[in-house]
Amino acid sequence: MNRTTQKIAELDRVIHEPGRLMIVALLSAVEQADFLYLQHETEMNKGTLSSHLSRLEEVGYIEVVKTYRGKIPQTLLSLTAEGRQAFQQYRRRMKEAL
Amino acid sequence: MKNDPEEMKVDQIEKLVRRPVLYNNVDGVGELGLGLFGLGCGLLDWLQIRNPANYIWHRWWGMLWFWLIIAVIYYGTKAIKTHITYPRTGFVEYRKRKSAWLSALVLGCATALLAAWCATFAARSHWNIGGPYWGMTTPAALLGLLYAGAYAYKIAGEIRWKWAVAAAMAICSVVIAMLPTGVIGVVAGSTSDFTTLPANYRAWILTITVYGAIMLISGGISFVLYMRHTQPAAETAK
Repeated sequence: MNRTTQKIAELDRVIHEPGRLMIVALLSAVEQADFLYLQHETEMNKGTLSSHLSRLEEVGYIEVVKTYRGKIPQTLLSLTAEGRQAFQQYRRRMKEAL
Repeated sequence: MKNDPEEMKVDQIEKLVRRPVLYNNVDGVGELGLGLFGLGCGLLDWLQIRNPANYIWHRWWGMLWFWLIIAVIYYGTKAIKTHITYPRTGFVEYRKRKSAWLSALVLGCATALLAAWCATFAARSHWNIGGPYWGMTTPAALLGLLYAGAYAYKIAGEIRWKWAVAAAMAICSVVIAMLPTGVIGVVAGSTSDFTTLPANYRAWILTITVYGAIMLISGGISFVLYMRHTQPAAETAK
């Protein structure tokens, strides 16, 4: 296995999925954002976005907080320290591999 | 946005990382604020140099005008974000900036100012440009060009029609640099109390005011486009 192939094989599979990559990349630049913002930016439907978020929450890359803004329910999402580190590592490996 | 694994290249990831920063001005409110600030400061300066020293604009409480503009920008931005932007396209809380960022900004501005002055005097001595006024108005124009360049790089790169805004700013900077002092004096004031004001100060007032107007127009167009292309989440669901 050559070096490039090895780098690609080492990529985090959870983040490498395009939908989840978009979510993690967007969240990496902010403290937190709500569900509506991610839906607007990624142009995914609610079901798809929810399933990606569940997967990311499952591995501990994002934190989900359900709250209210006035009387309107709001789902706030943020990257955990682990998620941030995983994304940085992913970016570094992608740059090295390509 | 593309959702194809083959197209998710490194540069696209970098673009995605920059998107939340651009989102801050998705409704044009950032530019509206800058425009109001530029126009307000320009107007206050203009009122100060157009009126005698005993007028309200020279008293400490005349400066309340300045704080009024700041308050309008702060609370206006907050109100638009809370009642229009967040219900339509979502809420974002940005990461707290470290103080090092602020130091870099101050250092950058100081360097740009110094560079503008040096470039002006170097150009004057090299081409032996006659007349006292070219050298006086050029620093304002050079800084204006620098701002237009930064705007083009940061914003127009992502939103095509903003190139027209960057071009308008650049053209205005050059026009202000080439204006005869007589014209600058007429536009940016001269009274018996302030005849000694240098031309570059007047050029500053003109530059700030013109840039404020351009930002206000650009922000206004962005706001109208945003309102036309988005709907509150409840209406989208229906």
